[in-house]
Amino acid sequence: MLTTSRRKFLGLLGGTAIGAVVFQACGVPEKELIIQAPFEMPEDLVTGIDNWYATSINTTPATDGVVVRVMEGRAKKIEGNIDHPINQGKHSPRAEATLQSLYNPDRISSPLVRIGPRGSGKWEQISWTDAIARVSEQISNIDDKSSILMANNRLSGHSQMILNNFTTSLGCKNLIYEPIESTNLRSAINHVFNQTQIPDFDIKNSKFLLSFGADFLESWVSPTKYSRDFGHFRQGGDVRGKMIHVSSRYSMTAANADEWIYVNPGTEGLLAMSIAYVIIRRKLGNQANIASLTNNGRFDMSEYSPGKVCNIISPYLTADQIVKIANEFIEHSPSLAIGGDSVGSHTNGFDSLSAIYSLNYLVNNIGKKGGVIYQPKPAMPELINNEIPGSFSEWEKVTTDMREGKINILLTSNIDPVYGLPGSLKVKEILSSENTVPLIVSFSGHMDDTTSMADLILPQGDPLEEWGTNIPDPGPGYQTLGFQQPVVRPFFESKGKHYGNKSFSDSLISISKTMDLDIKINSDSIKDLVKEDSKKLFDLNRGSVRAQNDKEFWVGVLQRGGWWDVKNMFKGKINKPPKFKNLPTPVFNDNAEYDFHLIPFVSNGISDGSGANLPWMQSLPDPISTATWSTWVEINLKDANKLDITEGDIIKITNQSGKSIEAIAYPNPASAPNTVCVPVGQGHTSMGRYAKNRGANVLSILDPSKDDNTGSLAWSATKVQIAKTGDWKKLPQMENELGDFPRDPERKVIKIDGDGEKNEHH
Amino acid sequence: MAETKWGMVVDLDKCTGCQSCVVACQSENNIPINTEDIFNQRRAIEWIRIERYWEGEFPNVKARYVPVLCQHCDEAPCEPVCPVLATYHNDQGLNVQVYNRCIGTRFCANNCPYTVRFFNFWEPEWPDSLKNQLNPDVTVRSRGIMEKCTFCIQRIRRVSKNSKSGEKTNERDLNPACTNACATDALVFGNLNDPESKVSKARSKGEKRSYKMLEELGTEPNVIYLKKVEKGNKQENHVH
Repeated sequence: MLTTSRRKFLGLLGGTAIGAVVFQACGVPEKELIIQAPFEMPEDLVTGIDNWYATSINTTPATDGVVVRVMEGRAKKIEGNIDHPINQGKHSPRAEATLQSLYNPDRISSPLVRIGPRGSGKWEQISWTDAIARVSEQISNIDDKSSILMANNRLSGHSQMILNNFTTSLGCKNLIYEPIESTNLRSAINHVFNQTQIPDFDIKNSKFLLSFGADFLESWVSPTKYSRDFGHFRQGGDVRGKMIHVSSRYSMTAANADEWIYVNPGTEGLLAMSIAYVIIRRKLGNQANIASLTNNGRFDMSEYSPGKVCNIISPYLTADQIVKIANEFIEHSPSLAIGGDSVGSHTNGFDSLSAIYSLNYLVNNIGKKGGVIYQPKPAMPELINNEIPGSFSEWEKVTTDMREGKINILLTSNIDPVYGLPGSLKVKEILSSENTVPLIVSFSGHMDDTTSMADLILPQGDPLEEWGTNIPDPGPGYQTLGFQQPVVRPFFESKGKHYGNKSFSDSLISISKTMDLDIKINSDSIKDLVKEDSKKLFDLNRGSVRAQNDKEFWVGVLQRGGWWDVKNMFKGKINKPPKFKNLPTPVFNDNAEYDFHLIPFVSNGISDGSGANLPWMQSLPDPISTATWSTWVEINLKDANKLDITEGDIIKITNQSGKSIEAIAYPNPASAPNTVCVPVGQGHTSMGRYAKNRGANVLSILDPSKDDNTGSLAWSATKVQIAKTGDWKKLPQMENELGDFPRDPERKVIKIDGDGEKNEHH
Repeated sequence: MAETKWGMVVDLDKCTGCQSCVVACQSENNIPINTEDIFNQRRAIEWIRIERYWEGEFPNVKARYVPVLCQHCDEAPCEPVCPVLATYHNDQGLNVQVYNRCIGTRFCANNCPYTVRFFNFWEPEWPDSLKNQLNPDVTVRSRGIMEKCTFCIQRIRRVSKNSKSGEKTNERDLNPACTNACATDALVFGNLNDPESKVSKARSKGEKRSYKMLEELGTEPNVIYLKKVEKGNKQENHVH
């Protein structure tokens, strides 16, 4: 209660707005008009007590170490954990939006059992005891446990260990699902570097960065870490780093490059081979590595001379440009080559990525500052996930098995294959019938398109409510184990009968106990397991947390958000590079009537679709189109002119199987002719009020083309035709808010400095 | 000279346009949800936003990004036009908006050349569960009220209160939400009158590249931009 007296109130009023207005009318001197807002009145300055808790959030695609501000039992704000080796005090928009996942109005609040036909959305709440008993009984009733499929997102740390033990003990199949597969990337890294973990690409200390399609600033692998490194790359060192980005679509990362090289879809690897040709031909680079790459000169590289390949790569690229890039790559040491995203999304994806990563051997940057830093063996090796995610061809096989009735139970957690797999697989149709897959159980906490087809839902909690650990992938180049702890009490706890969530790991432990299945874990919960295992770290007596005893150590790792040992880096031998092999030409289902390359891409808002239920992510303007809340199609300006397409026209995009989607036209100054680029992530048929029936799902019209080596989905290999539907819809954008000012040459809002050679503090 | 003058340096050579700042601001400052309709009406509220400008033609094309927020101008055009003194300059260099004085004339927004003042045309709405996230240190602005970037004044107040009571504080506690989120450290905040502050050092380090947005208007902003560096581009490019 305020205790301000009337006299004091009037006194303060004299210094406030009303007082000032009255004085002005009386012609009071200017000094009397100094006004202060009343919010500094001591009585008004009431601030609550806040606490900040450290934890980890596994958001697509990487894990951020964060601190969460909690007031009165509610999470209010997320910021980066300044101690955490990966994001060092910074965090991604997606990590911030975890708050909207925690308090999402459409979260599943209790276990549910289906009471209507499959997919009808009719559910009945049941208790956790009942839910666990039902799943356990159904699993026990199946004699052939290999007809049970566990499909989940890529896990790490103790949750991965529990899952692995569960599926191994049960004898069921286990498959990782990623809508935008990292299969080709991980396979290429394994092939080129003989590493199962993605290395630390030291962009921070590099001086020349050659990025092939890897949109590392917005969506690729670990954007927060790479962005932090990029800030240093630009203005943190002695010399400003130079970056060249090579891709078919102009992305935010491309916009941040010093030079953007457009290449025809699927030819990135060809450019890498041509750069290698120039370096080898001029007898530059590391000769020992070159001998291994070329099999002592026996590999014929003449097919990759710039003059022969430049026109295949791009009509705008000259042989001289390739030579210039090769020279710069050699001269600006340390230089670094990375590749990913769309490069791996062609039928030659694995080979292209292998060629790109091999460039690093030419400049011999492996294990060196500014180069490719391998990850050490983890402090607790049992917690690492070395698995390469299930490729598209494995999912094709699984859907065939489902259709043929060979899968009796489908268990899913935090994945949405009904949404993400190409429409040609007809996953939704297969799962609609109980004759194909008799039981579908989902452990997801949000009603995504797959969960809406489930018979039983055992909803897991939000990352901010759960226990766990994780080994960041990629790590920082030294041993790191992130800790995850609940920062608030579970939101649905004590909200009513049957309400509440249970972590995926705890559900698996409960099921195994009910079934009397030995999963070789003595703890009753993941919390107990993590706490018990923290003693192993304590016993190492090294790293970022030191304590007198294991109890203090436990408190220490929770306070710091994890444990890391900067001195414990990769100690193994660096292998010789693998031999070059000829690069296959990318295969497209060519047909004159389908003359546009369809290039799906991941925007930094809703990502691969998993952020579509978060309003902050839906309303995050795309960095290129500035569009929000919708599905748009980027099209070349001249193509748009030719087809009489203007912004807002609804465009029908049809693949060769006749399947189509509709999207809003965005004629894009940076789009190449004969390409249409469409963001992934919209077009859900479920997933709550913010995502349901919004936009279109571009993944549904992809051809089922695959990489020849890995079976990974070639998600940029689809060719389509486009046509105006005659409808029009305004594209919800955040653009040109400064209006006409920038058009006046005298009133520029962005100014460019012409000297990039040296940083200014010299 | 006043002891404190809050300001910000924005290094355009580091800004990637990732919008981390935008979401961090929305989370900290209880910004209403910008729905599709709101974008279509051009009434979206983003106290800090990323402007994207196109330059050139394919394939020699460039998208350029600039974060735009309230410039906390010393000669703020928004201040003299407010009939109720809801917006004024405080003694720490902040352009302050007092919500309970505002009567919604929108004169200030009309006079702001940076388009960084936002009017609440409707009462902000959140589903009940999302209200749990709202920051209790920041007032939810009701219908008819103008709002804008405050440099997260609630954090400045909290640090000042805590330091008075002897509690240890650090620079990060003082930083606005956008600055703490910015992964490339393109945004640097602090006291421009303290030569030892991070912001003063960033300003002097980038002095040759520094400029103020639309400075020819004489608004004397306290947000200092550092030009984007482009090798071999001696002429200032025309941005459209």
